[in-house]
Amino acid sequence: MTRKTIILSVLLSLTFEGMSADVPNDSIPQTIELDQVVVTGTRTPKLLANTPVLTKLITANDIMKTDATNLRDVLQQIIPGVEFSYAMNQQVHMNFSGFGGQSMLILVDGERLAGETMDDVDFTRIGMENVDHIEIVKGAASALYGSNAAGGVINIITKKKPNPCALNLNMRFGRHHEQRYGLSWQYARGKWNNLLTVNRNSSNNFNVHNGPNPITRVVSTIYGDAVWNFKEQLTYTLNEKLRLTGRAGYFYRQLVRTEEVPERYRDFTGGLRGTWTPDLFNSVDLSYAFDQYDKSDYQRITRLDIRDYSNVQNSLRLLYTHTFENENVLSVGADYMHDYLFNTNLEGRVRKQDSFDAFAQYDWNINKYWEVVGALRYDYFSDGHISRLTPKVSARYQPIRNLNVRLSYGMGFRAPTLKEKYYNFDMSGIWVVEGNPSLRPEVSQNFNASVDYTKGHYNFTVSAYCNKIENKIATGAPYYKSPSDIMPHLPYLNLNNYTVSGGEATAQARWTNGLTARLSYAYTNERLPKDKNSNAVNNQYIPARKHSMTGHVDWDHQWLKNYGTNIGLDGRFLSAVDNEEFVDYYDISKGIKNIHYPAYALFKLSLVQRISKAVKVSVVLDNIFNYKPEYYYLNCPLTDGTNLMIGMSVDVDKLF
Amino acid sequence: MHRVFRPISILAGCAIMMLVTACNGIFDDIYDEASASSSVTTEGQLLVNAASWKDWYYVDFDSLQMYIERKDTAGLLKAQTNFTHYAIPTSLSSGSGDGKTGMYTYWFDVFGKGISVNEKRGFTATDAQPEPQSWSIAFHRNNVRTNGGAVLETKYTSLNELPKNSSYFLGATFQEDEWTENEVWEDQSQMLMSLIGCQGIRINKVLSSWLKIDIPPMPPAFTMNKHVFIVRLKNGKYAALQLENYIGTDGTKCWLTINYKYPY
Repeated sequence: MTRKTIILSVLLSLTFEGMSADVPNDSIPQTIELDQVVVTGTRTPKLLANTPVLTKLITANDIMKTDATNLRDVLQQIIPGVEFSYAMNQQVHMNFSGFGGQSMLILVDGERLAGETMDDVDFTRIGMENVDHIEIVKGAASALYGSNAAGGVINIITKKKPNPCALNLNMRFGRHHEQRYGLSWQYARGKWNNLLTVNRNSSNNFNVHNGPNPITRVVSTIYGDAVWNFKEQLTYTLNEKLRLTGRAGYFYRQLVRTEEVPERYRDFTGGLRGTWTPDLFNSVDLSYAFDQYDKSDYQRITRLDIRDYSNVQNSLRLLYTHTFENENVLSVGADYMHDYLFNTNLEGRVRKQDSFDAFAQYDWNINKYWEVVGALRYDYFSDGHISRLTPKVSARYQPIRNLNVRLSYGMGFRAPTLKEKYYNFDMSGIWVVEGNPSLRPEVSQNFNASVDYTKGHYNFTVSAYCNKIENKIATGAPYYKSPSDIMPHLPYLNLNNYTVSGGEATAQARWTNGLTARLSYAYTNERLPKDKNSNAVNNQYIPARKHSMTGHVDWDHQWLKNYGTNIGLDGRFLSAVDNEEFVDYYDISKGIKNIHYPAYALFKLSLVQRISKAVKVSVVLDNIFNYKPEYYYLNCPLTDGTNLMIGMSVDVDKLF
Repeated sequence: MHRVFRPISILAGCAIMMLVTACNGIFDDIYDEASASSSVTTEGQLLVNAASWKDWYYVDFDSLQMYIERKDTAGLLKAQTNFTHYAIPTSLSSGSGDGKTGMYTYWFDVFGKGISVNEKRGFTATDAQPEPQSWSIAFHRNNVRTNGGAVLETKYTSLNELPKNSSYFLGATFQEDEWTENEVWEDQSQMLMSLIGCQGIRINKVLSSWLKIDIPPMPPAFTMNKHVFIVRLKNGKYAALQLENYIGTDGTKCWLTINYKYPY
C-alpha cells in the first residue's frame, strides 16, 4: 500500500458517514496483512506492517479482552517487561523495560499529560473507555518527541471514526467493593461527530498481612480510590480536506489514606486541533492543548479543600508533511509549551518555564527493499537556558514480503523538571529532598534492532536494544550539610553513566477456528547507576526484573445467531529481582545489603457471553490460583487472593 | 480558500485566547485558601500548634481566666493561640542522672504488626523536662500531660451537653498521669530503621486518647475522639476539654483546636 493510499484510507475512515460502529481489529487480522495505520514511530501515518520504526500495537479488541479500566491494567497484562510497583509512600511507579515514568513519554493523541507523582503520571486518569488503540514505540524518540522520550513513547489514540448513533452502557463488580460504570455515547449528524464518555470506578482500601521479619519495606494497606472521568470530543469535518476537533475532559480521583483528610486529584483538559489536507501530497496539523493537574487535601472537619499542587501545560503544535512523487516524505514541525508548576514544597512555591522546539524528518524510500528515516530536533528550555540537538536514524529492510528487519539509532534526553531543580521537601522528618538548579539533561544513546515475520496465521517478532545513559537524574546519597543539621539532605544529582539493555520476543497466532494466542517474553538488564564518585545512591525504585512473560489465549465461538462465547486465559510471570539497599539510611558507611524480591505468576480466566449483538455478560476470575504474597513488598502484585468480577455491557443502539 | 482559512483563523484565535487566559490554570475558585496564620476568634477555644516532635506546649487555665476577669478579650484570644513551649532535653547537662529520666530508643514494628509491638533498644540519660512555674496541661503532638491532675472521659460530645458543673462527676474515677517511655516520640531521625527516640515522662493516657495514632497504615492513621474530657487540676478546680480538630489550615497534623470550659 502506498503512502498516498494510506492517507486516502485514513481520510475516508474519518469522513465516511453512516459507517457502522467501530469494529475493532485484532493485532493480527484474519488476513495477516497488518494493515493497521500507526503514527507514533514517524509522526506520519504508516502501515504497521512496514513502518520503519517497530511499533507495538494494542487494539481496542485487545483492550476489551483485558477488561482493563485504565492504562496500567492494559500494559501490565499485555506487555512483558512492564511492572507497576510502589515508590516511597505507595505512589504508583512504572518500570518499562528498565525505564521509569519520567523516561517513557506517555501521550494521548500526541499530547503530553500534565502532573506527576514520584516521576509518574496519574495512570488512573487514562481510562480505556474512548481508546481506539495504543501504540508503543520502544527506544529513544526524542528526535520527534523531545524531552522524556528516552526509553520510548506510549501513544494512546482515541476513537475518531464517526458513528451515526451508538450508546454503550457497562458495569463491573468485584472484590473490595470494586465497582465500575461506563457510558459511551457517539452521535454523528452531517458534518458533526460527537463522542462523550463517562466513567466511574471505585474500590475500597483493604489491609494485607505480612509474614514475620520482613527484610525490607512492606505495605500493610492497599489503597482503593474513587474516580470520575468525563471526556468529550466534537469533530467538525468541513470536507475531505479540513477537519476541526475540539475536546474537553474532567477527571477526579479521591484516595483516603487518612479518614479526615482525603487526597483529591483533579485534571482539566481541553484542546483544539485542525487538520488541513489540501491534496494527497500535503498535510498541515495545528493543535492547541491545555492540561491542568491539581492535587488537594480535603479537610473534612473544617470542610476546606486546600490545593498543594498544580501543574498547567499550554501547548501549541504545528506539523507539516509533504509527500514527494517518489513516496518520500518530509515532515517539519515546531512546538511551544508553557509549563506552570505550583507546589507548596517548591522553593518559591511557583515556577514557570517556556519550551520551544523545531524538528525535521525525511522518510526516504530508497527502493523496494530499503527505507531510511532520519530526524533531527532542536529543543530549548527557558529555565537555565537548556538546549539540545537530538538525532535519530531508522532503517527498514524488507528482503521478502512480510519479513522486516529494522535497525535504529536514536538519542533520547530528559530535561530536568522544575521539581527536580527547585524541590525542597521535608519528608516526614526523615530527610530533606533538595532540588538542584544546576542539573544537566539526562542523555541516552539507544540502539535497536528487530525482525518481524508474518506467515499465514502466525506472526513473530524479535527485538533487542541497548541504551547507554549519561547523567541520569535521580536523588543521590543522603548527607549532612553541616554537623549541626538534624536531618540529612537528599539532593537531586546527575548520576554516573550506566546501561540498560534487553530484548523481547513475541509469537502470535490466530486461527480460523476462533482460537487466538499470544506469548511474549522480555529480558531486561538494568543495573542501577552510582553517583559520579561511584558511591551507591538512594534508589527510590526497585530495578526491572530480568525475565518476564505475558501470555494470552482465547477461543471465540458463535453458537447460535444470537449467542456466542469467548473464553480467555491470561498469564504473566515476573522473575525474582535483587536490589542493593542501604543497611542504614542514616549512616551509609555501613554499606549496602542485597534484598531479594521473589518471583511471581498470576493467571486470569474470563468468560464473555454475547447475547444478540447488544449484550455482553462477563465473568472474570482474576488470580485463579489464589496467590497471596508472603510479604507485600513495594513491587509485589496488589492482590490478596482470587477476585471474581462480574460485568455487563449493553450496546443500547443495537437492542432495537 | 476563504472557506478554509476562516475556520483555521477561528481555531488559532481560540487557541491564543485560551493560551493567554489559562497560563496559570483555571477553576481556582473550587479550592479554599489555607490561611497564612491561624488564630481563634472565640472565647473558650485553644489553638495549639503541637506538631513539633521536640517541644511541649504549656497551658495555664488560671492565666486565661485572668484575661476573662479583666475583660481583656484581645489578650485572651492571643493567649488562646500562643503558648509557652519548652524543648524536650536530649542530653544531660551535669551529673549522671537518675537512671530513669532520659531518652529511650524503641524499635517499633512499623511495617509488620504495628507500633503496639515494640522493643527497647537503648537509653540516654537527659535533664528533666523543663516547665513553667504555673501550668495546667501540656501538649506534645497527640500526648497530653497534666500538672498533677487527673482526667475522666465522659459520654458527652459537646460542652453544651455537660451537666451544669463538675459536681456531677464527683463519684467518678479520674485517671492520673502514668510513666511512659515509648509514647512521646521525640527523635525521628532513625525512623526508616523503625527506631524512634522517645522521652521517658509521665503523660495522661486518658486525655491522650483523644487523638490516637496507628501505624500501619503508612502514613499513620489518626483517629479523633470527640468526647468531652473532665480534668481535675491539682488546685481542685475542674476544666472541661474537647478536641475539635487536629489538623491546621495548611494540613499540619497535631495542630489542635480545643474547646474548653474553665472553671467547670
